[in-house]
Amino acid sequence: MNKLIKQGFAPVNSHFKADGRTRWSVKEKLFLGLTPGEYLAQALRNPFNWLLVVIYAVGLPILFGRFIFGLGWVTHSSYDYPWGLFLGWGLFTMVPLSASGFMMGTTVELFGRDDFKPIERLGLLNGLLGYLFAVVFLQVDLGQPWRLIYPMFVSLGPAAVLFLVAWHVATYLSCQVAELVPAFAEWMGMPRTKKFVKSLVLGLTVAGIILSTLHQGALGALFTYAPGKVHPLWYSAPFQWFHFICSAIFAGLSMLIVVSTITKWSMRWRCDDKFLDNLDRLTLGIAKGAALALITYLVIKVIAIAHDGDWRYLVTGWGQWFILEITVGVLAPLVLFTMAIRHQSAQLARVAAFIAVFGIALNRLNTALIAFNWNLYREIPHWREVVIVITVYSTYLVVYRAVLARMPILFRWKE
Amino acid sequence: MKNFNRRNFLKGGLATGLAAAATGAPKPAAASGTFGGYPNSMGVLVDFTRCVGCRSCEAACNKEQGLPAPDKPFDDLSVFEERENGQQRRTSERAYTVVNRYDQTDRKSGPVFRKFQCNHCNEPACLTSCFVNAYTKTPEGAVAYNSKVCVGCRTCMVACPFYVPAYSYSSVINPVVKKCVMCYDTRLKFGRPPACVEACPQEVMTFGHRDDLINLGHERIRNNPDKYVDHIYGEKEVGGTAWMYMSDVPFEQLGFNTNLGNEPIISYVKDFLTIVPMVLTIWPALFTGFYLLANRKKAGVGAEKPEPKQEEKKS
Amino acid sequence: MGLSRVKSFMILIGSLGFLAGAGNGLAETGPDTVVLDSLAEFYEPVQFNHAVHVDLAEGKCAKCHHHTTGAAPLEPRCLECHKGGSDGGVYACRDCHPLKRFEADYLAALDGDRQRFHLDKPGLKGALHRNCLTCHVENGGPAGCQDCHARNAKGDALFRADIVAPPPGQPTGGH
Repeated sequence: MNKLIKQGFAPVNSHFKADGRTRWSVKEKLFLGLTPGEYLAQALRNPFNWLLVVIYAVGLPILFGRFIFGLGWVTHSSYDYPWGLFLGWGLFTMVPLSASGFMMGTTVELFGRDDFKPIERLGLLNGLLGYLFAVVFLQVDLGQPWRLIYPMFVSLGPAAVLFLVAWHVATYLSCQVAELVPAFAEWMGMPRTKKFVKSLVLGLTVAGIILSTLHQGALGALFTYAPGKVHPLWYSAPFQWFHFICSAIFAGLSMLIVVSTITKWSMRWRCDDKFLDNLDRLTLGIAKGAALALITYLVIKVIAIAHDGDWRYLVTGWGQWFILEITVGVLAPLVLFTMAIRHQSAQLARVAAFIAVFGIALNRLNTALIAFNWNLYREIPHWREVVIVITVYSTYLVVYRAVLARMPILFRWKE
Repeated sequence: MKNFNRRNFLKGGLATGLAAAATGAPKPAAASGTFGGYPNSMGVLVDFTRCVGCRSCEAACNKEQGLPAPDKPFDDLSVFEERENGQQRRTSERAYTVVNRYDQTDRKSGPVFRKFQCNHCNEPACLTSCFVNAYTKTPEGAVAYNSKVCVGCRTCMVACPFYVPAYSYSSVINPVVKKCVMCYDTRLKFGRPPACVEACPQEVMTFGHRDDLINLGHERIRNNPDKYVDHIYGEKEVGGTAWMYMSDVPFEQLGFNTNLGNEPIISYVKDFLTIVPMVLTIWPALFTGFYLLANRKKAGVGAEKPEPKQEEKKS
Repeated sequence: MGLSRVKSFMILIGSLGFLAGAGNGLAETGPDTVVLDSLAEFYEPVQFNHAVHVDLAEGKCAKCHHHTTGAAPLEPRCLECHKGGSDGGVYACRDCHPLKRFEADYLAALDGDRQRFHLDKPGLKGALHRNCLTCHVENGGPAGCQDCHARNAKGDALFRADIVAPPPGQPTGGH
C-alpha cells in the first residue's frame, strides 16, 4: 500500500472521486478506490497476509473441528481447569485491553477534552472490536453456544456475577456500536443517522461508564467464587473487582498507545496529518492517565495483601512469581511512563505501554490459569487450543485492519 | 456536544436509565441474606471408620443413573492406585461418586477409604454462580440440575469448592454438567435414600434429616471419644452441606480441604454485589455532574474561570 | 423362597432359645450352620459356619451377639432404653435389625417416633457386615466380598464384570 501511495494513489476519504462530482459506490469504497485486481495485488505484496494464510490454513480446520468433534477434541477436557485459554486470553485479557472505549468516550464527551478527539474513535473502535471478539472467544468456549441468549430471555439467574457480565457486555456492545455509528454513517453517507446518534452521545457515554465499571469489576468478581482455588496473592474478596477495573484502565489506555503505534508504523498511509501530528502529544496525555491508574492499582494491590494478611505468601515460590508480575507488569511501566512524561518522550511511553499490555495479560492469565488451582497441578493447554486462540485473534486483527483502512477512524472524512 | 440543550440531556438520561433498568434491576435484592438450608431437608452422614472400599456404591450409582460403562469393572481395586496429574480419582462425567484409598501406617483396620460425591451444600456455590438458574436446592436437600437451560459456561465448576461438577466435553451436540443429584428424581423425591446409601454393605452412610444426623454424629463422637476426630465435616463448612463426614483420622489426611471456612461461597462475592446498585444509581448523577462542570463554558452557562485542563494548544 | 427358608431358620433358632431357657447347654453353642439368605440379591446366600465361629470366639457369644435373652444388651447405646433386655427368644440379628432399612415406610416410621437411637440402628445388611467384616479385617480373616458369598449373575451385571480392564499404562479415556 505504501508503494501505491508513493505512486500518487489516494485512498477513498470522501464521497466524491477526484473530479469532485462522481460519487464512489459502496463497492469502490470497499476496495479503497482500487480495482479488485489492484487491491489483490497490493494485498499479495504484504508479507503479513502470507502469515495470515499460514495461520488460517492450520487454524481454520481446527476451529471447525471444535464444532464438529466438540470441546473434548481441542482441549484437555479438564474438570479441574474448566476455563482454559479461550476465556483466560479471549475474555479475561481482551476485555480489559478494550477498556479504551469508555475512557476515550468519557475524556472527550464528558470531560470535554476535545484535544483528545483525533484518537477518540480509535479508542472506541479498539473497545468495540475487543468486546466483539471476546464474545467470539466466548462462543468458541461455551459448551452450547447456540444457547448464548438463554441468560437474557430463557432462564434468568440474576444473582450470578456472570449474569451481570452477560447483560453488561451485551448492552455495552450495543452502546459501542452506537458510538461508532457516526464513523460508519460518514462513510456510508447517512448524515441524519449520524446526527441522531450524536444527540444520544452523552447518554451512551454515561451508560458506557456504568456498564464498564460494573462488568470490568464483575470479571474480577467471577474469581471471588473460587476462594480456595485462586492463589491468595491474586485473590482478594473485597478488592478483586477494584483490582480488575483499575487495571483495566491502564490496560485499555496502554493498548490504545500500542494500537496507535502499530497503525502509525504499518498503516501510515491511512492516517491523516491531524492524527499523526497530534499522536506524540496524545500518547503522552494517555500515558499520564495510565500512570495514575498504575500507581492506584499498585497501592490497592499492596493494601489488599495487607488487608488479607497475605504477606507470608510473598516469600514462597508463588510470591516470587507474584513479585515478578508486579515488577514487570506494574512497576516497570509505571517508572517508564513517569520518565516519559517528565522527558516528554512519546517513544518511551510506547515502550512502557507495550510492557503494560504484556503485564496485564500476565496478570489475567495468572489469575485464570497459572495461579488457579495453586494447590493442585499446572494445566498446560492443548496445542489445538493454542492454535484456535491464534486463529481467532488473527481474525480480530484482520477485521481491525479492514475497518481502519475504510472508515474514518484515523482520518477525517471530507464531507 | 457543543449544542447541548435540555432536550438532548433528557434523551441521554433516558438511555442511561434504560440501560440501568435492563441490566441491574433484579440483582440487588438477590444479593442479601444467607440461607441456612431448608428446615426439614434430608442429609447423609458418612462414617469413614466403616468403609471397606468395596466400591458397591460406585456400582449402584452407575446403574441408578444410567451412566456409561467404566473402564474397569467395579470390583477392580486397582483403581485405588490410579493417579492423573498426581491426583487420585475424582468425580467425572462417567462417575458421580468415587471411593479413594488413603493408606495409614498405624491404623488397626488398615487404610481409610473415602467416598466422595456432590456434598449438596445448603447454599451451593454452583447454584449462586449460575447465570441461567440451572441449579435448584430442593426442599429435600438435593442440589438438582436442569441440563435443558445450561449454556455450558462452566462457572459452577470453577465455583464449586469441592471440585465436584464434571462436564461431558466429549459430547458435541449436548454437552452438560454431570454431577450427583442425590438420586432426586428416582428416589429422594419419594422418601428414599440415594442408591449408594442403600447399596453399601457396611451402612457407612446414614440417611435422615440433616439436623438429626448432626446430633447423631456428635453422639457417636461422645460415645467413642477415642475413636473419632471431634469434627463433623460438612456441618458448618461453606455454610453447611447435606452430606457430612466422620473420620478417625484427621480430615486433611483424606484429601479434604480444611481451609474452606464456614462462610458460604456467595459471601465472598457479596462485596462486589453490594457495589452494583450503588454504581447503577450514583454513577449517572456523578458523571452527568462532571459533564456539566466540564462544559459550563461551552454550554453557555457562563464560567468565570477558564478551563485549566488543556496543557497544550490544539493544533 | 428366601423368606420361607428364613422362617424355618427362625423356628430352629426359637426352639434353641427355648432349650436355652430350660437350662440346656445347647444354647451355648447354637446351630452348626446358618444359611444367611434373606438379603441375597447380588450374591448367593452365605453358608455361615456357626460352629467354627463359636470356637474362634472361644465360646463367648457376646463377641458377636451383643444381647442375650432376658439379660441387658451389651451395646451401651441400646442399654440406655432396653435395660431389661428383650423378652422372648431373640437371638437372630434380624429380630432387631430391619431387613428393609431403606424403604420409604420404614424411614417414615423412624421419622415418626423421632428416636435418634433407632436412626443409628443399622439394618440387617449393615449389622451383619459390620459385625463380621470388621472382625475379619482386624483379625486377618477373609475380607473380600466373594470370600464369603459368591456373586450371582445379577451381581456380575451390577459390578460390570463383563468389562475387561485395559492393560496398565494404557490411557483410560475421559478424566
